[in-house]
Amino acid sequence: MDTKMVIANLLHRPARTIISILAVGLEVGMVLLVVGMTTGMLNETSKRIEGVGADILVQPPGSSFLLGVTNAPMPIKIGDLLGQRVPHVLHVVPVLVMFNVSGGVNLVFGINLEQFKEVTGGFAYHAGGPFTGPNDILVDDLYARGNHLSVGKTVNLFNRSFRVAGIVEHGKGARLFIPLVTAEELSGTQDKASIFFVKCTDPGYIDDVVDGIRQVLPKYEVRSIPEYTSLYTSNNLPALDSFIAAMISVALGIGFLVIFLSMYTTITERTREIGILKSLGASKTYIMEVILREAGILCLVGILAGEAGTVVVRRLFETYFPTLYILLTPQWELYAALLAVAGALLGAAYPALRAASLDPVDALAYE
Amino acid sequence: MEPIIFTSGLKKTFRIGKVDVPALRGVDLVVQEGEFAGIVGPSGCGKSTLLHVLGGLTPPTSGKVLVDGNDFSSMSDGDRTRFRRHKIGFVFQRFNLLPTLTARNNIAIAQHIQGNGFNPHRFQAIVEMLGIQDKLNHKPYALSGGEQQRVAIARAVICEPKILLADEPTGNLDSENSQIALNMLRGLNRSFRQTILMITHNPDAAAVADRVLRMRDGRMLLD
Ligand SMILES: Nc1ncnc2c1ncn2[C@@H]1O[C@H](COP(=O)(O)OP(=O)(O)OP(=O)(O)O)[C@@H](O)[C@H]1O
Ligand SMILES: [Mg+2]
Repeated sequence: MDTKMVIANLLHRPARTIISILAVGLEVGMVLLVVGMTTGMLNETSKRIEGVGADILVQPPGSSFLLGVTNAPMPIKIGDLLGQRVPHVLHVVPVLVMFNVSGGVNLVFGINLEQFKEVTGGFAYHAGGPFTGPNDILVDDLYARGNHLSVGKTVNLFNRSFRVAGIVEHGKGARLFIPLVTAEELSGTQDKASIFFVKCTDPGYIDDVVDGIRQVLPKYEVRSIPEYTSLYTSNNLPALDSFIAAMISVALGIGFLVIFLSMYTTITERTREIGILKSLGASKTYIMEVILREAGILCLVGILAGEAGTVVVRRLFETYFPTLYILLTPQWELYAALLAVAGALLGAAYPALRAASLDPVDALAYE
Repeated sequence: MEPIIFTSGLKKTFRIGKVDVPALRGVDLVVQEGEFAGIVGPSGCGKSTLLHVLGGLTPPTSGKVLVDGNDFSSMSDGDRTRFRRHKIGFVFQRFNLLPTLTARNNIAIAQHIQGNGFNPHRFQAIVEMLGIQDKLNHKPYALSGGEQQRVAIARAVICEPKILLADEPTGNLDSENSQIALNMLRGLNRSFRQTILMITHNPDAAAVADRVLRMRDGRMLLD
């Protein structure tokens, strides 16, 4: 019965109802997109590192786990040393990681194709083929799709024009690959690498090899790939964590304010109706329930709109920005919904209390 | 027999800023169960205020008020709400229907608030008596004033209140519809022994009542 009244009231003010629903949807969508994009990006990056096929990653002392953030490369000779000194090491592959920020943030791997093939098993080419000169570049299929690239086209990186030599299947470390010598030249170093990918003779030896490398290179960051990729969570990135928290707060604030305003307007507009309910003997709880239920319905429909909207946005991203991956998890879909409910409850609480405590005679006399 | 309404020295004073406005200055009133009493008096003499106090919408400032055995001096806000829910039905000059609900739901919501659920027999009987069977699916804006007031009367009595309090129920109606509404009230009083206290400015309306109480300056005038 009171649900009928609540729905009738919502339908009575369609514009306000729609705006409130959109605001809650925006709140939910914002949370899901911010979290989905950041975790999606981290997830996807860590998957690509896994996809290289190495067992162990070695970084110079004091490096951030984020590739390309610190750029104090180590001599490639160290790699040879590892191969000689540490038992069960099959291959050591140097990569000079560069960080390209023009036109999106991208890791660029400076690699020696033959060596890189030793751990990865080689690229699967969608089109074109390996580097033929120092200014050749390989891009992965998603980057190519997102940037409308095909073999023979030009890509500008680090103030240099590269010719797309090949388009490779994504998932092997970076999206962009240039010859190691070119990367060295661009970063003004020689025979240096920022990471080593290490492949063991047998996966059973991974722990032994990690220990062995640590003995040879005491201060270096040496991690098995699973250990390394487990670092890819926002918890390990305080700035990102704060960014997510800030965005969630903003989203919560939007939901709270809009529901507050909407319900506040509602009770002001319906003061006399509240008086009528009171004259019929409706208790404070009854009145509060009516208001909270109205906010609840707005919130529920808003949550559905937000979650549906996010799925649509993700589809659009997949089509137009294939390199930006949005990860939607049921867990965060639930969190976003709970957050919206919390915002709506907070927003509706004061209007509900205010409505409940209206003086019935004054309310009935309200014009 | 114990009267259903008994007040003695009932006072109600409003405070506007720093000024006290005495609306009721000591009302002594006795109404027996099953009575149809009219209240008349000049504008501002406190008629509505008296009805609001008796219906538990607002507490008395002082004096004794006993309604169906409930002593208002010891009742909290919540107690008065519960009392109103179970024992009082209001009819207003402005009809006061909920604009977004159909006539049917306007009546049903009173039963819902009372919490005893929908009673189809009572509903049918009241609706037929008030002649609003055909209007049940209409919203208030699609009803004439007379129809709206009949729906409001149905809503007021659907839960079988002990007392029906009507504040100028014919004040917004033309004479024909006034007569219909008054006949309905009369009928309710006759067939269900419904106790009714009705404020009116209308001499025809006053004539329908068993007894007419006169008020002036916040007091009852003795006949
Ligand atoms: N909520 C209030 N606050 C302050 N003063 C009030 C309030 N309600 C009523 N009054 C005052 O109390 C007095 C009695 O008012 P009331 O509405 O009971 O008169 P009434 O007899 O019903 O008049 P009318 O015939 O015009 O409806 C008036 O002087 C009025 O101004
Ligand atoms: Mg009045």
